[in-house]
Amino acid sequence: MSENARATLSRFVSAYGMLAVLVLLCVYFSWATYHEESATGPEAAQGVARVIVASGKRPSVVVVAPASDAGFGQDLAAALKQQGIPVVGTLQGGPPEVREGLEALSKSGRRIDMVAAPESCASWTVFDALRKQVSSLANLEVVTPTTQGRSAFLSPSNLRNVADQIAVIALMAVGMTLVIVTAGIDLSVGSLLALSAVVTAWFIHAWGGTSASTGAMLAASLIAIAMSGLVGGFSGLMITTFDIPPFIATLAMMQVASGLAFLVARGQSIYDLPDSFTWLGRGTGVAALPNAALLMVAVYIVAHLVMMRTTFGRHIYAVGGGPEAARLSGLRTKRLLMQVYLLSGVMAGVGGVVTASQLKAGAPTYGQSYELYVIAAVVVGGTSLSGGEGRILGTLIGAFTIAVIRNGMNLMNVEPYTQKVVLGLVILAAVLLDRMKRRWWR
Amino acid sequence: MKRFTGVMMVAALAAGLVAGCKPSTETAKSPEGAAKPKVVLGVSLLTMANPFFKDMADSMQQEAKKYGYEVIVTAGEMDPSRQKDQVGDFIVKKVNAIILAPCDSKSIGTSIQEANKAGIPVFTADIACLDKNAKVVTHVATDNYSGGKLAGEAMVKLLGGKGKVAIIDHPEVESVILRTKGFREVVSKSPGIQIVAQLPGGGARDVSFKTAQDILEKNPDLQGIFAINDPSALGAVAALEKAGRKGKVKVVGFDGQPEAKQAVKDGKIDADAIQFPDKIGVGVVDAVSRYLAGEKVPAQSLIPTALYTKAEADKDPKLAGGAPKA
Repeated sequence: MSENARATLSRFVSAYGMLAVLVLLCVYFSWATYHEESATGPEAAQGVARVIVASGKRPSVVVVAPASDAGFGQDLAAALKQQGIPVVGTLQGGPPEVREGLEALSKSGRRIDMVAAPESCASWTVFDALRKQVSSLANLEVVTPTTQGRSAFLSPSNLRNVADQIAVIALMAVGMTLVIVTAGIDLSVGSLLALSAVVTAWFIHAWGGTSASTGAMLAASLIAIAMSGLVGGFSGLMITTFDIPPFIATLAMMQVASGLAFLVARGQSIYDLPDSFTWLGRGTGVAALPNAALLMVAVYIVAHLVMMRTTFGRHIYAVGGGPEAARLSGLRTKRLLMQVYLLSGVMAGVGGVVTASQLKAGAPTYGQSYELYVIAAVVVGGTSLSGGEGRILGTLIGAFTIAVIRNGMNLMNVEPYTQKVVLGLVILAAVLLDRMKRRWWR
Repeated sequence: MKRFTGVMMVAALAAGLVAGCKPSTETAKSPEGAAKPKVVLGVSLLTMANPFFKDMADSMQQEAKKYGYEVIVTAGEMDPSRQKDQVGDFIVKKVNAIILAPCDSKSIGTSIQEANKAGIPVFTADIACLDKNAKVVTHVATDNYSGGKLAGEAMVKLLGGKGKVAIIDHPEVESVILRTKGFREVVSKSPGIQIVAQLPGGGARDVSFKTAQDILEKNPDLQGIFAINDPSALGAVAALEKAGRKGKVKVVGFDGQPEAKQAVKDGKIDADAIQFPDKIGVGVVDAVSRYLAGEKVPAQSLIPTALYTKAEADKDPKLAGGAPKA
């Protein structure tokens, strides 16, 4: 391998080594959560009908489907009728409604031999109970579609779920990456998230509550984001003007912001928000992706370009790499640092608005210990805590790594206590990677 | 290529860590092949750091075993967002029922609505959901109102029907409002008893300590304190000890936390209306099984409290020997 190609490869690996880890994790979870699951859709409905025909009997069938699977219930009924199998009725709802319906049908003297239902109903014990309690249903059979392999982790609904779960942490991690590149730290982001969520909810509440207009919601969100930015900027001011270490200054602001959040909300959650407010947090846009995830993608693209292509971005690296040298070469390091903390506050504010939108409420208890997850995402993403280096896209990978581990472990039913241990060890492994990078390979 | 191997080493380490944690349950494959799928319950509680919820989770696990259900226990650890994520994961897993002790009675609404949309029935334990758009099959919780009455009866008995009483309150919480309501109703029937103060203690030991100090300062002839939970009661006890009025003022608490039970045994708290987290756990799993069997389940089922006094504490095998009567 030529020296040049080797250098390129190793640069890529050291920058995006975590990407390999993330891919491995995804492969592992896809495999570990693979299981047999019954199919849905018109094709599966046809399958059920074929199975019944193939049995040679002509049972009279009741189609059962929960309200959420109403479409499949219709498919099933249509497929059965097409095959000439008598459908006595179609029942929708939870077990109590189905029981009532079956009892009523049976009382009216209709013969019922079989229930055709999606798999989600097959585990209901209502059918066992009916077999025992209603003599005319003693031989009731339950037919469900045939199963097919499916990975719970890789299912589209779960991938959207992961994107939705990571959006807030990932958004805040953008600001934190800038801060950490300057060799600083911002512990106030979790509290700022709570403050922003509460302020947003408070203003919407004040400007019409559940009937607030879109303009009012937008204004409330912007005020909250601006306020978080101001608090972040204030931390920056303390750090630059009075030389307070970032750790201490932001630790203090963490308390202040949390206290303010409790004061504004009077210790309660503010929840009379309009349904449309959930557009940002729960709505979906392009490719059925959650809007919050789309916002995250947009912010990452912008932040990446800013850090790589603009003088502002290069100056941030310069300040982190050597503040004294940066100052001597004419950079206004103090102003730059203040801007960085302000941006971190702004991103925490955005995180707060998204959280309030996701939960359709603002509560001062939001965001507790989020600063740690955010810092973890940045560090796992390869940004060095000693400043001067780090990549925005690395942070995105870091955030996803943490989200994927959490989600995957939840899907695999790993105990919550064990989850904590694993997450902690993963962060440790990432820092280890960072250390190895600087000690052995330079 | 040392750099590359290093990265791979860490990658393997991380993957190995995750792979190392085996799923805590295995999917049951019954021998008959296409037999009934197993019922899976997804549980997300307020916090596993509080023994109250730990007990509740343990009893859910035990009760579920009876029915052959699989239970996945998680906790939001006070973080409503995290609880939202856990419910999201349950929906992806297509569990058969979700049991919640919400971290926030209002913020949980959107998550429950998502579960409703996915056709998964939701049950709440101990803490109710206050979002009217969210459908919950049933709510299983302590009967706080009759618990308050029980505490009131205990107070009347302790004071022999007359004396000045104060309440250390935490009116932000629905369950506490019910407790004080029940207490006041019973106590107001004894004309000899007068409620001289009802002040907030935040449900916390330190705040209640200060509140109790203020109350004692203002009312030198106070004879009873009703604290709406055990931390408040323990705060009040500390204030009484500091003021040298221990024993002169009767204390009635609420909860049944181990430390408060010990305090009852040591004679520091005179009576405690105790809750039964284990019964809540059993009750909610039973409600799930009845619902899945097609029975109509009442919208709410309340678990009664019991009074815990020195007589019960002396018989309690879980308590340490404690100091013999000082």
